[in-house]
Amino acid sequence: MKKILALVGTNANFSYNRLLLKFMKKHFKQMADIEIYEISKLPAFSVDVPLEEQTEVWKLKQKVKAADGVIFSTPEYDHGIPAALKSAVEWLSYHTTVLKKKPVMVVGVSYGRQASARSQVQMRQILISPDCDANLMPGNEVLIGGATHVFSKDGRLVDTEMRDNLEECFTHFIEYIQIFENVDEEEVKMPIKQPRISEAYIKFPTGRLSLKEVQQIFSTIPFEIDLIDSSDRFAWYSDKPNREHVRDVASLNEPVTECHPPKAVPAVMAIINSFRDGKRDVVTRPLWMNGHRSLIQYYALRDVDGHYLGTIEFTGSVEYILSLFEKGAWDKGADASTGASKHEDAAEAEDNETADASTGASESSDDNEETTADASEPAGIEETDADTGASESGSVDADDEAADATTGASEEE
Amino acid sequence: MKIAAIAGSNANHSYNRMLLEFIAKQYKDTDEVDVIDIRDVPMFNENYKGRAPKVIADLDQRIGSADAVIIASPEYNHSITSALKSVIEWLSYEVHPLENKPVMIVGASTHEQGSSRSQVQLRDILISPGVNAQVYQGSEYFMSDVANVIDEDGNITDEMSIKFLDKCIDDFKIYARSINRMVEERAAEAAKKEAAKD
Ligand SMILES: Cc1cc2nc3c(=O)[nH]c(=O)nc-3n(C[C@H](O)[C@H](O)[C@H](O)COP(=O)(O)O)c2cc1C
Ligand SMILES: Cc1cc2nc3c(=O)[nH]c(=O)nc-3n(C[C@H](O)[C@H](O)[C@H](O)COP(=O)(O)O)c2cc1C
Repeated sequence: MKKILALVGTNANFSYNRLLLKFMKKHFKQMADIEIYEISKLPAFSVDVPLEEQTEVWKLKQKVKAADGVIFSTPEYDHGIPAALKSAVEWLSYHTTVLKKKPVMVVGVSYGRQASARSQVQMRQILISPDCDANLMPGNEVLIGGATHVFSKDGRLVDTEMRDNLEECFTHFIEYIQIFENVDEEEVKMPIKQPRISEAYIKFPTGRLSLKEVQQIFSTIPFEIDLIDSSDRFAWYSDKPNREHVRDVASLNEPVTECHPPKAVPAVMAIINSFRDGKRDVVTRPLWMNGHRSLIQYYALRDVDGHYLGTIEFTGSVEYILSLFEKGAWDKGADASTGASKHEDAAEAEDNETADASTGASESSDDNEETTADASEPAGIEETDADTGASESGSVDADDEAADATTGASEEE
Repeated sequence: MKIAAIAGSNANHSYNRMLLEFIAKQYKDTDEVDVIDIRDVPMFNENYKGRAPKVIADLDQRIGSADAVIIASPEYNHSITSALKSVIEWLSYEVHPLENKPVMIVGASTHEQGSSRSQVQLRDILISPGVNAQVYQGSEYFMSDVANVIDEDGNITDEMSIKFLDKCIDDFKIYARSINRMVEERAAEAAKKEAAKD
């Protein structure tokens, strides 16, 4: 079912336009899931509102992004749209592209016979201006005049002619959304679910992988990975099932400052900038997520010459590892020569699994300590050990409950 | 002439406010230009019925007592700013100081079109029945690419621009005088009729 966000175009406590949207929500519940949004929650638009005060704005932008379509219900004040509604649209066009190509529909109620026609014309002009660039559904005017006598006491639109027109226009809107969906799925969603050229191989110095294998490796390892590229855009995330951070393809290519709750932005940028400046290579955050002990590690991604390529966020539940630890999996000490057999003992004792499905040989040559040492220097920098990472992360954590370098959506909600 | 000049931007750094301050300076010998900063005007809300914030009474007084009004309108999304729209809504709700007031629209924009679209829209809004201002229809004054025309000390660096501004304001002052005379005459006529009735 289509997800529609419907903005009440006024901040007034009583509003016929709100009444109309509530009616639409009920009346069309078989056709669409309509969420009504109150713009009175937003601060008045100003280019000088500090980012910390934009949490509501950020939430609205997330909702618009996630919606299949947006409806604006506009009253008419002085032959124009209300300032409060204009302010909301300014937020949706400033340093963001959430309205770009978003299917939108305009409706409106007013007292007089003119039925907010003038403000709807204005609303339409604004929505197609370059900074909004929405996919405005043409025609399909929903002009509801005589507000005081076309609604029943319990908020139903009782004028049959108006209701017929509303039904027709809303049906068109759902069809209108579908037109763009087909384009979208191929353009945007395909490469995520399936790499585009699945038959191709990538040759690494250490072997070759098909694109399908690459995709499935990322989906299979028990940690999820997100990449913020060197221009600070959210470039990619692994398609692991049951992710800790739920990502949306609609967020791809967004600036990192945009896909975060404003409060988390300073902490996130501090991490990224310290990576870019070469001051740090890893930041570790142990934390509880979705009811289990988890670990987030940010790593600076660098090329062989040390040039910054981006930041990867590596996140996963550590319950399994901790349970192994708590059950004494490593208790017998670091005895290099028998590492392999011990490992197998512990793993098999717990889960009755083979320790190493691919090759036992490599396992036996790798003792446990070596493995830990490897893991702590993926960026090839010796001095960054797990300890410094952890202590640094302490300072980052303290003032920020949602420093998720890619998008904190799931933690914030 | 007493001119209330409303800067239609709530940005701390605003070219439109700078433009009005330039006009105030330019005309200080002949006219009293009161530049109105709208940064402290809250978002219009019908819920405030009967208890509008104090700044609204202040605006009512400053605009009501002026002989003419200049509004400098920025352009956001091909439209006037919500900040300016909010001011107009306050001034068309419980107080109506713009009613019959001669108003001239000017505007500055950092883009090429120079706020022309928002000026057209503002005109429609100002002549709507709830506002009912007397909008000057003469030359349009809009300043495109304003970041290269007004310097950081608020001076207009382009001679042509200043000359044209002078001409626009001089024309507007003539218009404002005639409108005010007409409004006075109308009021006098109405009063005479009232008196005749008794
Ligand atoms: C400041 C102000 C200006 C208004 N201007 C207009 C107008 O130009 N045209 C119109 O039809 N109604 C106008 N109205 C009346 C609104 O249409 C009416 O208040 C309507 O109920 C607003 O929609 P709502 O019930 O969804 O808030 C105005 C109301 C206010 C408060
Ligand atoms: C949200 C937003 C939307 C804008 N849209 C437009 C526009 O549609 N046309 C235009 O000429 N300038 C547009 N601009 C740029 C403004 O013209 C520029 O910011 C100008 O400096 C505003 O006037 P001020 O300096 O008086 O605040 C926009 C600016 C913002 C913040």
